[in-house]
This record gives sequence, C-alpha cells and structure tokens, in this order.
Amino acid sequence: MVAIGLLVTFLGFLLSLFSLTLTTSTGGRMGLVLAGIAISLTGIIGIINRAYVKNAIWKR
Amino acid sequence: MKSKLLLAATLCISLCAFAQAPAASAPAAAPAALTAADVKGVEPPKADLRAKGDPDGALTGTVSDVAVADAKAGLTIADVVNQVGQNKIAINFVWTLVTGFLVMFMQAGFAIVETGLCRAKNANHTMMMNFAVYGVGMLAYWLIGFALQMGGVGAVGNLGGSPVLNSEFTITLFGKTFGLFGQNGFFLVHNGAYDVAVMVIFLFQMVFMDTALTIVTGSAAERWKFAAFLVSSVVLGAFIYPVFANWAWGGGWLANLGANFGLGHGYVDFAGSGVVHSVGGLTALVLAIIVGPRIGKFDRDGKPNAMPGHDMVLVITGCFILAFGWFGFNPGSTLGASGNGNLRISSVAVNTMLAGMAGTFGAMLYMWMRYGKPDSSMSGNGLLAGLVAITAPSGFVNPVASVIIGLIGGVLVCLSVEFVERVMKIDDPVGAISVHGANGIWGVIATGLFADGKSNYGGSWNGVSGSVTGLFYGDAGQLVAQLIGVSALLGVVFTAGFLANLVIEAVIGQRVGAKAELEGLDLPEVGALCYPEFELKTR
Repeated sequence: MVAIGLLVTFLGFLLSLFSLTLTTSTGGRMGLVLAGIAISLTGIIGIINRAYVKNAIWKR
Repeated sequence: MKSKLLLAATLCISLCAFAQAPAASAPAAAPAALTAADVKGVEPPKADLRAKGDPDGALTGTVSDVAVADAKAGLTIADVVNQVGQNKIAINFVWTLVTGFLVMFMQAGFAIVETGLCRAKNANHTMMMNFAVYGVGMLAYWLIGFALQMGGVGAVGNLGGSPVLNSEFTITLFGKTFGLFGQNGFFLVHNGAYDVAVMVIFLFQMVFMDTALTIVTGSAAERWKFAAFLVSSVVLGAFIYPVFANWAWGGGWLANLGANFGLGHGYVDFAGSGVVHSVGGLTALVLAIIVGPRIGKFDRDGKPNAMPGHDMVLVITGCFILAFGWFGFNPGSTLGASGNGNLRISSVAVNTMLAGMAGTFGAMLYMWMRYGKPDSSMSGNGLLAGLVAITAPSGFVNPVASVIIGLIGGVLVCLSVEFVERVMKIDDPVGAISVHGANGIWGVIATGLFADGKSNYGGSWNGVSGSVTGLFYGDAGQLVAQLIGVSALLGVVFTAGFLANLVIEAVIGQRVGAKAELEGLDLPEVGALCYPEFELKTR
C-alpha cells in the first residue's frame, strides 16, 4: 500500500505539471493543479499514512 | 578646505544618484557636470587638523580614503566611480552576511524550543541532534548541495554580478527549457567558485538549508536513532533540499513558469515558506510516519495522550530567538540593502514583525476560546506559524495583508495540530508538521493571493518585467504558479524524502528500541544525561 500511495502522490504532481500543456487557460490550469494537489494529499493522508496507522505500535 | 570637502561629498552623492535613480526621480536642480579638474582639486584634511582628533566625525572618511588606480595620474573620475560601485556592493555584502549570521543563530532557537517541548529524559539527545545537524548539513551542502542549488543561478546583480555560477542542467519539456539542477561550485572551488560573491551566496544559502534540516528533528524527537538521523540529514542537505531550492531560487523550472508559460512571475518564494519551511515540514511528516508515535502517545482505541514538554522557559525563549533571527531570514533575502529597490527591507522587516504578532494572537485566542485557557506552547507555535506564513510573501505584500496572513497562520497551526494528532494519528512532539509544513504551504499560496504589485526589485522578478501581483490584485496566473509549487512540494519533495528514508529504515533502522525509549535516549544514544543530578521518571 505504501508503494501505491507514493505512486498516487507523485501522479498528483504529474497532473499539475501536465496542466502546463493540456490547456492554456488560467482557469483550466488552476482546476487541474488543484486536482493534482488533492490527489497527492489523498496519497499521503489516505493511503500512506493509513497503511502505517494500520500497524501502529499502539494497536499491538 | 571645507568647501572642497563639500564638493567631494556632492560629487559622491551625484554619482550615486546617477547610478541608482531613474531620471524621473532625480533632484529638480540638475547637478553640474563633473570634470577631471573637479576631482583633482579635492584635497584631504590637513595633517595638523587630523592631529587634533576628530570628535564630530567630519574629517574621517574623505578623498584620502578613495583608492587611486595610478598614483602618478592622481585621483580620477574613474577612481571615484569605481569606489561608488564598490561601496554599493560592500553595503550589500555586509547586509547579506550579517542577516545570514542572524539566521545561523536561529539554530539555537530551534534547539531550545524542541528540547523544551520534549521530556527531560531526552533533552541531551534532542539538543545533540540540533547541534549535529548544523555541521553535518553544512558539510553535505558544501560538498554537493550548494552546486546543485545555485550552480546555474547566473549573475546576482546585488552582489556584483559574478558570472561563475552559470551551468544549469536542463531538459526540454512541452517545447520549453526546464532547469533541474546546477552544475558549478562543488567544494566552493570548482569552475571559478572561489569568488567573494559566491562566498556570500554560499553562507546565506547554507544557513537557510540548515534551517530546513533542523525542522525535521522535532517531529521525530524522543525516538529517532541518532545514526539514522545523521544519514537522513545528509540526504536532505545534499540532494532533496538543494534540488527544490534550485527550481525556485537557482534559475530552475518553477522560477521560469512566468517566462515560459505566462504564469505571473513564475513560482515566487521571497524567503522560503516553501523552499525552507515546507521542505522541512513535509520531511518532518515523512519521518513522523515512518518512525511512528512514541510509546504511550496513543491508547489502544487511538485516543491521544498529552505528553507535555519539560521546560516552557526554554520554549518561549527559543521562540523569541527565532523571531529575532527571522529579521535576518526575510529582510536578508533581498541579498542587498542598496540599489534595485532594496530599501524595501524596511517593509519586509515590518511585515515580518506584524505577521508574527498576528500569529501569536490567532493561536492564543483560538486556544482560549476552544479550551478555556491561552496555551503558552501553542501561542509560541502561533508566533512561529505567523513568521513561517509571511516568509514567502514578505517582500511583496502590504502591512494589512501581513496581519491577515499571520492571523490565519496562527489559527491554522492549531487546527493542523489537532488534525495531525486526532485524525492522522501522527505523533509530532513539537508541532513541526503544522508550524512549518502546513503554514509553509499557506505562505506560498498567500503570496499568490495578496502580492500587491507595489514592490519593484530592479524592475523585474524571475525574468518577467513588472511587480509580483496576486489574485486579489488582478493576476490569477501568479496563484497558479504558486499552486504548481505546492504540488511539486507534495508530489516530489515528499515522495523523494519518503523513498530515501525507507532505504535508511531498511539499512540502519530509524527507531530506537523500546527499552531505550522508555528509559530516555540521553544515555543509550549520546552517552550522557542532560540533567544528571535530577531523578527522572521513566515514563
């Protein structure tokens, strides 16, 4: 799960990066970049951290 | 003789005006044209006058202090002009170096804030991490990091325009050039880097990098293996921090989003909310996740337990030291006090003060309203949050915006601490993730919102003419550039930091054993107790 989380986090950045070429409108770029940030946050908070919390020391 | 001294003073002032001020703002009465005879006629104070001393300072610093290139030819206009130029650069050198010294002293502030927020049984270990990171980070940065960050920055006009840092590794993407990292300046001798201006840039950038490194020690405190900490710090100081800093400050692709894609002035981060604080804060998040919470921090049902620090005097004193050092961090980021709009250092300094104040109030009032008491450690974190948040926008916003940015930062740090602890179940003993990570990102975004278009650092920024202007003043493209910077922080810096620290976890192991953690890390990790005469609890 951690590997998937890292991949998702990086893919969020790639979406932001590709906003530079997918559209020239400022609004369109902003939407894509915000989506990219949301995807990266999902990777960090929703996948990577959740995977670690599942086996946290206080659950043992 | 006095009239000749006056003439010399007028001459210098006139040359300064010619060198720095646009024609429109020149004095109403145009200065008379200078001739070689004017310069030749200037005489130093008579020896008998100097022999009587100079109590009012009128005789010290005169024509006799201007270096003459050719003694036979005597003083020429060229000599005077060269002296004026060197004076300007000397002012900028001294300004940048002294502010760098202030930033260096922030290491002491971080050390005692973090130590105060930890338990007494780990005090020596926490101090030692903060102490060691200064030297270890500097070594990594001197060997590799500086060249990767600044090796392709090009001439820095405020520091004399030395051209030696001129090699950037680039790729072509979407038909544009993307700078990825610098290639000059390894060991500070490579390819002409043994240069007075390069030394100034190195010192100033090095202490910034060390600030990012020392942020991380807070989130993993009280359970981080010292050897793993050293290796992790080297990786951050040599590779991860410098590469992102190159993208933002070294002429890399983020800085050129304006020139290449028409997004405002490209990614703008005046003093490092993103480059320094978000990089440090996100790496702190990486370590807090990998190392895991301290024993006893969470009950079996996930309910968090308070683990108060052992010395609030250290914490609050450390906050003051950090606030003092921030006057180097932000105003020093002009890299000069003379020329190119650098008198705005006064505005930057005041913005810094105001945001820190507002951050303190924001956190204090939030805690008071929510929990019934003004929490002192969170008030301190509110001060730091306001300062972190204003770091990126400080050079581009007005005082009202600074207060708003700081106030939001102060509340945000409280909300973020609660979210990190209660929702993410992450143990961050000092609040580093919230103070530096969350508020660093807020600072980057705030620049894209509040930059008022009134600053003018030599007429352009990041190769785009005009002043940096945020969404609220009409430029939505600037906000997009800032958000792309945030995305790079989350997607690249976090990911790279996580992968590097997973390798360290596999090879060395990041966390100390349970016995050492329960007894305290001072003896097992650094070999001496911080408070040997005290009887300490084991939990």
